[in-house]
Amino acid sequence: MISLRNVSKAYPTGVSALRNIELEIGKGEFTFLVGPSGAGKTTLLRLLFREEVPTSGSVIVNGHDVGRMRRQQIPYLRRQIGVVFQDFRLLPQRNVAENIAFALRVIEVHPREIRRRVGQVLELVGLTDRATALPAQLSGGEQQRVALARAMVGRPVILLADEPTGNLDPQNAQDMMKILLEINRLGTTVVMATHAAHLVDRARQRVVAMEDGAIQRDALAAAYHEEVSR
Amino acid sequence: MRLRTWAFCLSEASQNLLRNPVLAIASITTTAVSLLVLGVFLLLSVNVNSIATSIESQVAVRAFFAHQTAESQELAELQTVRGWQGVRSASLVTKDQALSQLKKEFGKQGQVLETLGTANPLEDSLSVTAQKPADVKPLAVRLSHLAGIVHTTYQSSVVSRLFALINGVRVVGLAIGVLLLIGSLLVITNAIRLGIAARRREIGIMRLVGATEALVHWPFILEGLILGGIGAVVASGLSFWSYVAVYHDAVHSLPFLPLVSPSPIPRDIALLLLLLGILLGAIGFRISVRRLARI
Repeated sequence: MISLRNVSKAYPTGVSALRNIELEIGKGEFTFLVGPSGAGKTTLLRLLFREEVPTSGSVIVNGHDVGRMRRQQIPYLRRQIGVVFQDFRLLPQRNVAENIAFALRVIEVHPREIRRRVGQVLELVGLTDRATALPAQLSGGEQQRVALARAMVGRPVILLADEPTGNLDPQNAQDMMKILLEINRLGTTVVMATHAAHLVDRARQRVVAMEDGAIQRDALAAAYHEEVSR
Repeated sequence: MRLRTWAFCLSEASQNLLRNPVLAIASITTTAVSLLVLGVFLLLSVNVNSIATSIESQVAVRAFFAHQTAESQELAELQTVRGWQGVRSASLVTKDQALSQLKKEFGKQGQVLETLGTANPLEDSLSVTAQKPADVKPLAVRLSHLAGIVHTTYQSSVVSRLFALINGVRVVGLAIGVLLLIGSLLVITNAIRLGIAARRREIGIMRLVGATEALVHWPFILEGLILGGIGAVVASGLSFWSYVAVYHDAVHSLPFLPLVSPSPIPRDIALLLLLLGILLGAIGFRISVRRLARI
C-alpha cells in the first residue's frame, strides 16, 4: 500500500529532514510513527499525500509514484487518502455536518449520497446529535472527531494522522485512539505520528521509531520505547 | 464541471463579495466610472469625427457669380475650372438649387424660408472641391480672378481646427480612461486577494480532500468577472441610454448636426465597454492567482 525506497528529503535551507528511508506498509496495517520533534515524522507523512516531493528515492502510495506524479493527478491521489492534523482545521462558520459534507461537495459527489455518507461517519465518530453545532460550540475532542469524520467521509484507503491527540486531554485522546483502531479494523490502512507513549503502549501495533530523519527501529506489536528483553 | 458545482463556485464567490461589501462596491464603482469615462470620450470622438468629415465634404470653394451673369458664360467658366490641375470636382449650383439645399439643412424650421415667396436672394455659384486641402487656398485665389466672379469663400481653417480638436479629445480621453482602468484593475485585484486571504483555510482543506485546481480557482474567477461585469453593465448601460437620449434630443433641436446614430457604432462602444469590464475582472484574477498557488 505504501512503499518508500531510499527516500531522502532536504529543504532548500540545507536542512536534511529525511535520510535514506526504507519503509513498507501493507494494506490494512496500523503503524505508529514515533520519535522526538524534528525526527522527520511530519515530513514523511507529507510525502505520502504529495504535500512534499522527495529529493531522491521513490514514494509509492496505492500504486501511484508520488514523486513523479503530474500536478493534475494530485487531487485524485488525495481522494484516496484521509488526513487529520493536530489542529483540527475546521471551517468555523460551517456547522459539523457542513464541515464534513464540504469534503464531498468539492469532489462533486451527488447531494443525496453526501447526506447518506455524512450520516454514516457522524455515527462512526459518535457525533450524530451534534450535527448542527458550530465548531466553536464543541470541545477539543469533539472537534477532532469532526476532523476525523471529514477525513473518512471520502472512504479513503489510507488514513494519515499527524499528532491527532496532541491537543486532547487523556480521556479524549483515549476515545480518539479507539475510533482510529475501529477505522483500521474496518480495513483502512492507518499511519499515525504521535508522541503519546501511553496510547502506543496500550495499542500494541507496529511502531516505526525515527530520529534525525532516519528510521531507528521498526517493530510489530511494539511499545513506544524500545523494550529490553524480559 | 457539473451544474451544482458551478452553483457551489458561484455561492463561494458571492460569499466572498458579501464578506467585504465595501470593497465590492468600490471595485464596481471604480470599474463603472473608468469605463464610463472611456465610453464618453469614445462617443465624443466618434461624433466630432463625424462632424468634421461632414464639414470636410462640404469644404468646397464657392465662387459666386455677379447677378444676372449669362448661363452660357457660367457653363464656359465651369468647363475651364474643370480643366485646372488640383481640382477634384466642380459643379454649377444655380440659385434655385442653393435655396432648396438651404431649406433641407433647416429641416422643419425650413418653413421660415417660405416667407421669401418667389423671391430668391441667392446667386448662382461654382462649387469646386480640391484634391488636397493644401490646394484650397490657391484655388480660391485663382477662382476670384475669373470673369463674372464677385467673391469666393471656403472654410478650411474650421476643418483643421476640428481635426486638432478630435486628436486632443482622443489623446486626453484615452489617457484618462487608461489611468482609470489601471486604478480599477488594482481595486479588483485587491478585492480578490482579500478573498483569497480570507479563505486560506478553506482552500487548504479543498486541496487536502482532493478538489481539482479548477474548482479552487473558479470562485475567484467568478468573483473577478462579477466585479468587472457589474461595473461594465452599469457603464455600458449608462453611456448607451444617455447617448440615445441626447441623440433623439439633438435630432429635433439641432438637425444640422451630423451626430452618429445609436446603432451600430455607439452600440458597439457599449459592447466594447462590457467586454473591457469582463476582461478587467479576468486580468484581476490572473494577477491574484499567484497568491493562490502559495497557499
